[in-house]
Amino acid sequence: MILYLLYIDPGSGSYLVQVIVAAVLGVSMFFKNIRLYIKSLFHRRPKKSKDNPSA
Amino acid sequence: MSIIVAKHLSSYRDPSGFIFEKEGTIYRQVNKIFREHFDHFINSGCYRELTQKGLLVSHEVVHENFDDSEVRYCTLKPEKINFISYPYEWSFDMLKDAALLTLQLVRESIPFGIILKDATPYNIQWHEGRLIFIDTLSFEKYDETKPWIAYRQFCECLLGPLLLMHYNKSPLHELSLSYPDGIPLTVTKKLLPAKSRLSLHTFLHIFLHAGVSAKGQHTNKNESSFSKQKLLNLISSLETLVKKLNLPQQTSTWSGYYGEASQRINYLDEKKKIIGRWIERLPGCKTCADLGANEGAFSQLPAVLNIRTIAADFDPGCINSLYIQLKKSGEKNIQPLILDLANPSPATGFNNEERKSFLQRMDSELVLALALIHHLAIGKNVPLDMIANFFSRISQHLIIEFIPKEDEKIQLMLKSRKDIFDQYNEKNFEQYFTRLFTIESKEPIEGSGRILYFMKRR
Repeated sequence: MILYLLYIDPGSGSYLVQVIVAAVLGVSMFFKNIRLYIKSLFHRRPKKSKDNPSA
Repeated sequence: MSIIVAKHLSSYRDPSGFIFEKEGTIYRQVNKIFREHFDHFINSGCYRELTQKGLLVSHEVVHENFDDSEVRYCTLKPEKINFISYPYEWSFDMLKDAALLTLQLVRESIPFGIILKDATPYNIQWHEGRLIFIDTLSFEKYDETKPWIAYRQFCECLLGPLLLMHYNKSPLHELSLSYPDGIPLTVTKKLLPAKSRLSLHTFLHIFLHAGVSAKGQHTNKNESSFSKQKLLNLISSLETLVKKLNLPQQTSTWSGYYGEASQRINYLDEKKKIIGRWIERLPGCKTCADLGANEGAFSQLPAVLNIRTIAADFDPGCINSLYIQLKKSGEKNIQPLILDLANPSPATGFNNEERKSFLQRMDSELVLALALIHHLAIGKNVPLDMIANFFSRISQHLIIEFIPKEDEKIQLMLKSRKDIFDQYNEKNFEQYFTRLFTIESKEPIEGSGRILYFMKRR
């Protein structure tokens, strides 16, 4: 482990990685949306439940 | 003279406020430093929305001033949580639901201009038959240009343990005990199998995350490049991943116990009848612990009488089945808990005072110890006098089942080991227990050779 990592506040989050992850997800979402749009031409999707997941 | 209350020993990390106890009631103080965020959380309607949906514990504002220090803004009295439990006592599906609850809180808060700043499972507790978020001060004003501050914490405390259990097909809840601040990503990365890299979401949130963090580039001057849509994409990706994770029901040591036990004619019915009758003799009883509960068949007996019951077992498979069953039935009086009685959860954290041990938290008027004593006495070599001491420490009333050595289950246990248990017999059992308890009732379970005792601590 690189020593200076020990001085990073663990709560500070991982900013750079989120920027990269968000960029990759953006591209993947773009293609997913196209796929979903094509799918939706054939059938409707059911609505999601919004309750507490543990309830 | 100024009055300053003592913070709860687990409530020292966040300067926004702290919890404290006063005459047996838990309060939460909000400090002036957090005033702007707290007011926005309440006034935006976010608090009302989250509490109405049963995602966040509700509170009332207390006008009484317990603390006249300069830093105090206001004091809250949250709904009471009866028994505090920790992630290392939860089964796979409980931890999974805790992760989904955390993500749902982020998603639901964003439209109100609020973001969740903590993603530790210690902020989630069992309340009224489900998991609920308890830290009202974890919500702050959302700056759309900034990424999610609790992202790494989420990946280390919730996603990492879930992925490890999923890919290794083993309940690894004990890992949370060794890593109270979450399993470091570099460790999770090494423990995950190579095939897990093939999942895009796992690769991004664990492998890439660990790799980028290890380079030490934790901050980015380009923070303005983030947006609300990017955050929502991140949350969706985490949700998609967590929802896919599962731990297949394993043929654990004691799963299927009831199926097998019920084949013994009338055994379970007879036992339920006797225990049900004895519990009714304790009309004022409010709390019970069913230790060695298996899938909780006997925990139902106090629960139907509105007695809050902790159903604890060392077998994670049984507790997970019980949790799934409770989710379906909506039973509110049973709390599932993974617990090894031969090694109960210790006190942990700073000064060993941050999180209490199981025995420090345990406060039940009635304890059920059914088909349990042979696991301690024969399975773990605990002498009968030590078992009696243990139960007298934790129970005012005790319903305990004595299993004679001739019982087929004990014979099965002794098949693979030397019988060094000369002292294990009914006479010694009664002798040691009557030193500390009075026997109120004693009834053999017909056709089984087993005996039920109803005892009261002296």
